[in-house]
Amino acid sequence: MTIYEAEVPGVGHKFEFELEGDARLVVIIHHDGKRDVYRRPDPDADSERLFSLSDKQARQFGSILEGAHFQPVDLDEVQVPLGDSLIEWYDIADLDEGPPIVGETLAESNLREAIGVSVVAIQRGEETIANPEATETVRAGDTLVVLGTREQQHEFEELLDA
Amino acid sequence: MAALLVELGVALVALALAGIAANRLSLSVIPAYILVGILVGPNPPTEVAGLSLQIVGYGEFVELAAELGVVVLLFFLGLEFSVGQLLDDRRRIASAGVVDFVLNFGMGIVIGLSFGRTPLETVLLAGIVYISSSAIVTKTLIEQGWIANPEADPVLGTLVFEDILIAVYLAVVAALVTGTGGLSGAVVDVGVAFAFLGGLALVAWYATRFVEATFDLPSDELFLLSVVGTATLIAGVALSIGVSEAVAAFFVGTAFSQTSHTERIEHVIAPARDLFAAFFFFSIGLQTDVTLLAGVAGLLAVAVVTTTVTKLTSGAISGRIYGLSPTRSLRTGLALISRGEFSLIIAALVVSAAGSGNDALADFAPVVTAFAVGYVLVMSVLGTVLVQYADVITGRLVPLLDR
Repeated sequence: MTIYEAEVPGVGHKFEFELEGDARLVVIIHHDGKRDVYRRPDPDADSERLFSLSDKQARQFGSILEGAHFQPVDLDEVQVPLGDSLIEWYDIADLDEGPPIVGETLAESNLREAIGVSVVAIQRGEETIANPEATETVRAGDTLVVLGTREQQHEFEELLDA
Repeated sequence: MAALLVELGVALVALALAGIAANRLSLSVIPAYILVGILVGPNPPTEVAGLSLQIVGYGEFVELAAELGVVVLLFFLGLEFSVGQLLDDRRRIASAGVVDFVLNFGMGIVIGLSFGRTPLETVLLAGIVYISSSAIVTKTLIEQGWIANPEADPVLGTLVFEDILIAVYLAVVAALVTGTGGLSGAVVDVGVAFAFLGGLALVAWYATRFVEATFDLPSDELFLLSVVGTATLIAGVALSIGVSEAVAAFFVGTAFSQTSHTERIEHVIAPARDLFAAFFFFSIGLQTDVTLLAGVAGLLAVAVVTTTVTKLTSGAISGRIYGLSPTRSLRTGLALISRGEFSLIIAALVVSAAGSGNDALADFAPVVTAFAVGYVLVMSVLGTVLVQYADVITGRLVPLLDR
């Protein structure tokens, strides 16, 4: 990705920013701070003006693009590291042929002994059961918040998919 | 004082209204300011429905404000003059610039000689028809969105070349028109001009750090006073020894162009430039006697037609030098057709030389003013309008070129 910069006498500065293919974004920064943003789809096409912003608007808009206010995260990959352990969220499928732990209490499924993972919370609809008792029964549609190492998490995932 | 203040107020309000109208029509403000000067000035039209239109006289204040306008316009030209851009792209800029100069200045020479003008008058006419208007051309590029296209490169490259050429041209011509006459006198005058301006250019080149430190002032008002004061003082000294004040101001501008002050100048001093430049165009209008246009109608018509064609051609060749498609090359030519401030600066130079005792130019001065004003009025509007119909024009011309 290359950015080209040039002085434009009597106007200000011009930046060209390579996009996918041959397309380019062209940004003209005027001496009075105004920004014009153009897109040129390919080298032979004319640039189309997308929008113009004042100096102040451009700075605020720029900080949004930069991610200063909100940095997006891939929600399927949320992992919270705790030393070697991770906390992961598992949706228990709401199916007739659900995983074997459905209908069992936490004590019955014996996850801590068999695999080593701990269920630190259960989300059930609007309700969150923090630090659930061993007598709590896992139901289809629950979301289990599970603490364990990467290998243990992997093993637990296989149990759910079984 | 009350009468003078009212006169000034009328002038400014009329300029503002004309500027607003020009903006509505998507035209440059330059022809609008000139027309206002013609309208309210001492020359015809002098009245409308019994109301006097001789409201504003060409007094000392307008004359001085207009002179400041020239100084600040050229100062900004120097400020925005990019040595780096020139050096990076020197081969293409030089090729495009030479084509532009040979075709357009050359056509001016041909027109002047065939209308029986003296060599000096011919060189002045050639200068007027040669140089494009940086102000109008740049505005056109922005409004058409061409600034973000490849055709901006040859257009801006040509303007950079014209900037250098006009500096040299004004230096020579100012020495010639204010000179004492005779070939040896002319050589001495041009020599003095080049010695002074060459010295100024060298100082400008090597004084970057000094300028950087000296003008690093905390308040905007002190910055404004210091910069405008320096430019005006050096321009005034130049003029008092017979050297072009405009070119002196250009080199003062270049001294600032390599410093970090450029952005601040654009913010703080651009409003002063706009005000005084408006006075310059206005004062040109005040001094214009439109009845003289009849006497130069033939010259004007020939110049308009031929130099529109030569500018379009030279621009199109420049586009090809930059490796652009036929459509973009023609746009390069269309964008450069507008003439404006520099043509008028040349005319103003002749008028002031005639006013300060150069009898050889006494008869020519009113003619050149009428011609320059007529020419700029037509070319600034024609250039803008042709660009607005660029798609139609290139659509017609490109198939002819491909044949």
